[in-house]
Amino acid sequence: MNHEEILSVVQEKFLSSELVTAFLCDAKVLRPDCVKKDRLLAIVEYGDEKAVFCLFTSCYPPKSFTDLSIEIVLPIDNSFKCEIDNKPSDPEAILYLNLQSRNSKFKFEIQMTPRVDNFVDDLFRGIEAVNKLTTQPEFVWLKKYDGQREDDFIAQSMVLPRSGMAHTQVSAPVAIRESLIKRKMSDKEFDYTFTKRFTIFCGTWNVNDKSPVIPLKGWLCVDKEPPDIYAIGFQELDLSKETFLFDQTFREDEWYNAVRTHVDPRSKYVKVEIVRLVGMMLIVLIKEKHMSHVRNVVCDTVGTGIMGKMGNKGGVSIRFDLHNTSICFVNSHLAAHVEEYERRNQDFRDICSRTRFVQPNQLPKAIKDHDQVYWLGDLNYRITELDPSSVKRMVNENNFGPVLEWDQLKQQHKISNVFAGYTEGPITFKPTYKYDPGTDNWDSSEKNRAPAWCDRIFWRGDNITQLAYRSHPALNISDHKPVSALFTSSIRIIDEEKYRKVYEEVIKQLDKMENELIPQVKVDITEIDFGTVRYLELQVRTITIKNTGKLPVEFEFIKKLDESSFCKDWLIVEPYKKCICADESCEIQLKVLINKTSACKMNAGTDKLYDILVLHLYGGKDIFITVNGTYQRSCFGCSIEVLVNLNIPIREVPVGKLVELESKRDQYISNQSTYSIPKEIWFLVDHIYLHGLKEPNLFEQPGLHSEVLQIRDWLDSGSIDPIPGSIHSVAEALLLLLESTADPIIPYNLHPVCLRASANYLQCKQIVMELPEFRKNVFLYLCEFLQEALQHNAENGLDAKTLSTLFGAIFLRDNPNVVQEPQSRINKQIIDKKKAQFVHHFLINDHSDLIFTK
Amino acid sequence: MAKKTYDLLFKLLLIGDSGVGKTCILFRFSDNHFTTTFISTIGIDFKIKTVELRGKKIKLQIWDTAGQERFHTITTSYYRGAMGIMLVYDITNEKTFDDIVKWLRNIDEHANEDVEKMILGNKCDMEEKRVVSKERGEALAKSNINIERAFSELAEAILDKTAGREADADAARIAVERRPSRAPPARACCS
Repeated sequence: MNHEEILSVVQEKFLSSELVTAFLCDAKVLRPDCVKKDRLLAIVEYGDEKAVFCLFTSCYPPKSFTDLSIEIVLPIDNSFKCEIDNKPSDPEAILYLNLQSRNSKFKFEIQMTPRVDNFVDDLFRGIEAVNKLTTQPEFVWLKKYDGQREDDFIAQSMVLPRSGMAHTQVSAPVAIRESLIKRKMSDKEFDYTFTKRFTIFCGTWNVNDKSPVIPLKGWLCVDKEPPDIYAIGFQELDLSKETFLFDQTFREDEWYNAVRTHVDPRSKYVKVEIVRLVGMMLIVLIKEKHMSHVRNVVCDTVGTGIMGKMGNKGGVSIRFDLHNTSICFVNSHLAAHVEEYERRNQDFRDICSRTRFVQPNQLPKAIKDHDQVYWLGDLNYRITELDPSSVKRMVNENNFGPVLEWDQLKQQHKISNVFAGYTEGPITFKPTYKYDPGTDNWDSSEKNRAPAWCDRIFWRGDNITQLAYRSHPALNISDHKPVSALFTSSIRIIDEEKYRKVYEEVIKQLDKMENELIPQVKVDITEIDFGTVRYLELQVRTITIKNTGKLPVEFEFIKKLDESSFCKDWLIVEPYKKCICADESCEIQLKVLINKTSACKMNAGTDKLYDILVLHLYGGKDIFITVNGTYQRSCFGCSIEVLVNLNIPIREVPVGKLVELESKRDQYISNQSTYSIPKEIWFLVDHIYLHGLKEPNLFEQPGLHSEVLQIRDWLDSGSIDPIPGSIHSVAEALLLLLESTADPIIPYNLHPVCLRASANYLQCKQIVMELPEFRKNVFLYLCEFLQEALQHNAENGLDAKTLSTLFGAIFLRDNPNVVQEPQSRINKQIIDKKKAQFVHHFLINDHSDLIFTK
Repeated sequence: MAKKTYDLLFKLLLIGDSGVGKTCILFRFSDNHFTTTFISTIGIDFKIKTVELRGKKIKLQIWDTAGQERFHTITTSYYRGAMGIMLVYDITNEKTFDDIVKWLRNIDEHANEDVEKMILGNKCDMEEKRVVSKERGEALAKSNINIERAFSELAEAILDKTAGREADADAARIAVERRPSRAPPARACCS
């Protein structure tokens, strides 16, 4: 597949108004925890607005848009940033693209190909364009991609796009269906889960730039039973400038190894995840036997330090699903200084709002989107309004109550300025800050700070019980003491067998729902019999389509394979396309009219009054509607050659016989034929000759349609009554009869010759001489008659010019089956003029010689 | 446990003479619902059903076609795009079985070359009226005895192909059900 072919597949993923302006294949999403391959980046434009899409491709190259699923959408607004790095070791082959939009950051790895330039150019054009805008674009069109309006989108996607097996692309976007399944499954969680208690140990320690030179057993291994999970947070792991600027430290390994060494030796633990931002590190360990039930491990970091961005303060988090319960651990180090509690509150809110756990095919999760949250860290809240010495006195007496009343965190928590919805257990341990390192003595520096409970643990979620909340003063290398809390929490465990049953039930329900959303209509009649249909007599039947489904349905009569039109030319369907709302109906009129173009096909048996229409419902089924009727054959639409051989009225001729006659019409010769001109022409001409030559406006005033039909019946049935109707109706019937013959009087193949010869009477005469026998007869007979009529121009008002124009168009009528080259109007006028000129010769000149040469 | 999603879409087509029970099979399979009333299908219709095969979730879109003679030229135009075609006959009606040859010819002319084919004998609940011998393959709509399996097998054959494996030469793959050890289905379903 070339670039253009892939582009068209990618484009299909979007609406036609959403233009894919550039894309890159073979991209990777780099996450701290994993690398996601097989991604495709596309820039999509909608009006002035652009966005970058990251799509997962289930096969490469994508063969159909169903192979693509949208994973990440980054609107290019003025929060959008793009940075490009080269991989130092391999500057040629790999590019790193850092994209940021609205608090979401992504790092992509792309292969350096010539296409990258185009892509990056397009990206920067988009950024420039948006920066020039005075108002922020709203990106309304992206809403359908971000899953917020899931329900609407489901309804849309369930309406399967245009079908008909031959040209279908049917599939509800997988992601939508998946998220629906997820939601249904979570609604039914209690049907397939049971709970089990897990113990969770949370520890936090601000180590004040120290290495782990002492054992940690006294902190991590103090409980009766080994906990199921350890979540250990450190702050101020490394205060060096290098760490701050380059985020690299050897202490990460030091402290991680120390934790691994000193966790409860009675159980074997494995790492779930480790995450660090500058000095903040969070380690989550779990008993090895539980690890197979841990899924979707994602971490994130948020810096709230210098400029609100840097990682000297902030929070690091790890989330995962344990069995069917989602758990999130947060380790934070909030702003320092006694009076800055508002800053600390703000840091908390920033961490909450900026932490985003991104997983493929899912909405990003925030901290609050978890069943259980454990938040630990150096939260840095202090004791205010009490002088340091009385604080020290009271805590030395273990009289914590009065001091805690002045704890900023307790105060702020109480009025829900921070940790709203979270719980903290009662504090029964001495403040954990600030000590002289290596001792249990309060800070002896000049500042003489009041001791404070900086290091805290909060939790949020149902069925969590705190078993212990304590400090560990014996670990004294830092100016903080470590703190820990032990919890017992209910974890929902899936019963695989029940899960399967519920899952199958959900799938069945979704299938049912999808089947119910397939457009449904009821058509009252699918076989329409028009009965007897006569030439030029319009017949109308009505069918009713009722929308019996739940959604609006759009129908259209569609073409059958290899046909150019959805119905035969003698049928008119109105409307052939419409949208019907649920429970409403639409009436469709089917009109049959056999006219001069269709009549000859009916007579010749090349067409029948029979057609099957395909009524297509967009996104649904096709209904076949059969139309039939019996055409009553008429002299209108017969060929001259057949008419001269019919010595009985046409209605008495068996159908098969007529078809046979028509098929052999080129073989008739004069001496075997009954008449030299069709008797029907003779009847009509003779009638006008006898009764209407002096009729004013002859051939110009139209007849009555009903009388023309009576004349048709009179001719077809061979009636012996006088011809019905007025002279004008007879004249119109004559013109119609001549117009509807299977071929024009002058065969199509001679038309170019006639037009070329039109200025020259002799040449015209020559052509007429060479006309097939019966055509020549009819032509000359009619011209003679018209000359006769012109004799009475005083009464009937005829003139040769008008008549030659009228009959020119009849004798030399255009072939309806040949697609006319688009003619200019002038060109058409010239041709019409030449046709008239051709006939004109025979209306003004005496051509009796042609007749008598025979 | 949430499993990785492979949402494959297979388009299957039911063809065969009028009255052999194609629509019935479709309803039975998709809704687990059986109706004895016979309403001739005038057109083409479809239903979907998700099945799991080898750990993959596969969405089957099953198209039911009008069996009436007069619609044949139109219905053949729907063959293109079908990945599997189930040819259905009525075990109590010899002609519908003889016509299978004609339907197979239609498939050769109009369907994709690599389409998977399967022949299905329907109405096994009317064993006493059987005229088409059992060895020639069958399934049973009314008691749902083999419909699920028939669709699974057809889907599995398609899955083999989509997985890139070579299908057995280019010979038409006709799954013939042989069940000598099984109790006759007629007794099983008339209860």
